[in-house]
Amino acid sequence: MPVNWIPVEPNYKSYLQLVVLIDMAILAIIGASLYLFLPNNGWLPAPLWFGAPWAAITVFFGLFWSLRRYQFTAYARTEEAMFLRRGALWRLTRAVPLNRIQHVEVRQGFLERLFGLAHLTLYTAGSGGADLSIPGLALANAEAMKAELITTIANEQTDESDHD
Amino acid sequence: MTELVWQRTPLLTIGFFIAKEVRNLIKNITNFIPVLAAIFVTDSTWLPYAIGGGYLVFVIVSAILNHHFFLYALTDDAVHLRTGVFSKKSLTLKYERIQQAELDQTWYFRPFSLTILRVDSAGSAGKEVEIPGLSIDVAQQLRQTMLAERKAVAAELRDDADLPSVPTAKANSPVDLERQYGLAELIRAGIFDNKLFVLLAVLIYPLSQTEVLEERVLPWLEANITFLEESMWLNVGVVVVCLTALFVLAIGVTVVTNYNLTLTIAKQRFQTRAGLLSIRTISFRYPKLQRVRIRQNLRARLLKRFTVRVNQLRPSAHAQQQSSGTFVLPVLTRSGLEELSRWLRLPTRQQLNWQRISPIALLHPSFWVALSAPLTATLSYLKWESNLLALALGASVWLALQLYVVARWQRYGFTQAQGWLGVHRGVFGHYEYWYPLYKAQQVDVYQSPWLRLLGFADVIIYTAAGAEVIKYQPLAVAKQMQSSWLHDIANNSTRWM
Repeated sequence: MPVNWIPVEPNYKSYLQLVVLIDMAILAIIGASLYLFLPNNGWLPAPLWFGAPWAAITVFFGLFWSLRRYQFTAYARTEEAMFLRRGALWRLTRAVPLNRIQHVEVRQGFLERLFGLAHLTLYTAGSGGADLSIPGLALANAEAMKAELITTIANEQTDESDHD
Repeated sequence: MTELVWQRTPLLTIGFFIAKEVRNLIKNITNFIPVLAAIFVTDSTWLPYAIGGGYLVFVIVSAILNHHFFLYALTDDAVHLRTGVFSKKSLTLKYERIQQAELDQTWYFRPFSLTILRVDSAGSAGKEVEIPGLSIDVAQQLRQTMLAERKAVAAELRDDADLPSVPTAKANSPVDLERQYGLAELIRAGIFDNKLFVLLAVLIYPLSQTEVLEERVLPWLEANITFLEESMWLNVGVVVVCLTALFVLAIGVTVVTNYNLTLTIAKQRFQTRAGLLSIRTISFRYPKLQRVRIRQNLRARLLKRFTVRVNQLRPSAHAQQQSSGTFVLPVLTRSGLEELSRWLRLPTRQQLNWQRISPIALLHPSFWVALSAPLTATLSYLKWESNLLALALGASVWLALQLYVVARWQRYGFTQAQGWLGVHRGVFGHYEYWYPLYKAQQVDVYQSPWLRLLGFADVIIYTAAGAEVIKYQPLAVAKQMQSSWLHDIANNSTRWM
């Protein structure tokens, strides 16, 4: 069965970049406070030894990684299953059969709200959190998908109880 | 809907609640470190007693309260619980959602012919329901209703129609199969399932940390048992005798817990019953099966015996403590294994087409093993400053590791047959895992940068009893596997739990 991949919102890239910037800023603050407030810090190497790798990592994640991750992230819905493609360098294609979904959840983090994004998570049994979570969806779209999935699952289950 | 009749457990069960409190204490022992520290730091002689006494009072009072507020009610289709002293908790568990039922006739309840009923639910919180102090008759009847739920059985019988391999010879008799395992077999089980080495490791590590051994035990030994120094063989002998005693003790533990082990199969219900002091009965219904593990470690291979474990859905909270309360048959002969496999409807052993993974899979571990050779050579050179020794050591370590890597690859295999996914592995032992494919929950195709470079991918299948990784499949094959499995799962509407 051919799978039609649907890309996530372009905003997702900006969201990833913001996350990278915030994480790196926290690192920078920790590093800077080491140099500024630590007494007897003569043994620390010149700030450039930390600054240059820091800048390189920031550029790598902010430009290359977030772009690749955004480009590769996509989801697909077929009659049988929900698919998710995820990752930048380490890539994962996950599929959850619709008749194994236990519950569905739409979540919106604080940063995601700034971009109007949300993520949709499908839970299955026994996996302990390793479930399918589609990031970078517009909130309205995520809600619609959730409603649609729940209807599908509910219909399936009435079928099954008839079968019993 | 029947009227709920709330019942309290017998007064005798206070002992059970006390035991539970004590177990909680041991489980949360780290929380008491500040208190213990206080005991060690102060000089006051009364403080340890005060804390100990206070704790004792706390245990008894909370056990009495917990017993008083533990109410249960049994109806035709569900068990209801109301517990909690301050924060009340109400729990309803439908019988058809029960994965496994366990009757634990502990030694302290046996004289009163009472028992503990333990059932697992399939909820994500992993709630285990324990009802202590049921009379054996009531508990057995209850388990019967739980596991032979009428609606579910009807569905199963219909499922059976599609499965030609089911042995239906004695469909009408109440018990399809009954097997007992004698003392000799259990002693064998004790030999190859010996926890001695685990026990030793657990004991030795803290001992080596605290230096008790060096500061106290060794001087004491030297002072008191001078004759030990006289002969090296005597030393060795003492160690050997101690180890043997522990080994025999561990066998004894296995024999006591599995004494009089009986396997019963009746109408899709699998049950084991065993124990010398505490009799424990574990049973599950066939449709709940999620994984079968056939294990044979090196000692078991020499003794030609197998261990079979059947897993049901286990919520993640329980994933770590799977060894307790799972359905295990510790010792099976080859014919016994084949018989059980037939009842579990595993594919016939002779017709299997085991597939190996690509030899490319050897590249990655071989690379790391190859790094080990110069490393060991350099280290040993720095230590002994001998070129020859360094070379020999480096080469032999490399050879051993490389042989292990190749053997591991060579002894790995997977197969698909009659709706099952089978995987076998193990260099010294032999481990086989069987998953009913249509019960799988998720299927992943995973590529690290290295795998992408080679054009390969790992296939990961998540079932309700754990995940299984099939490594190094060509990308197209991996995608094909994913989509065909998905198709099978999505189009199978039989019950999966």
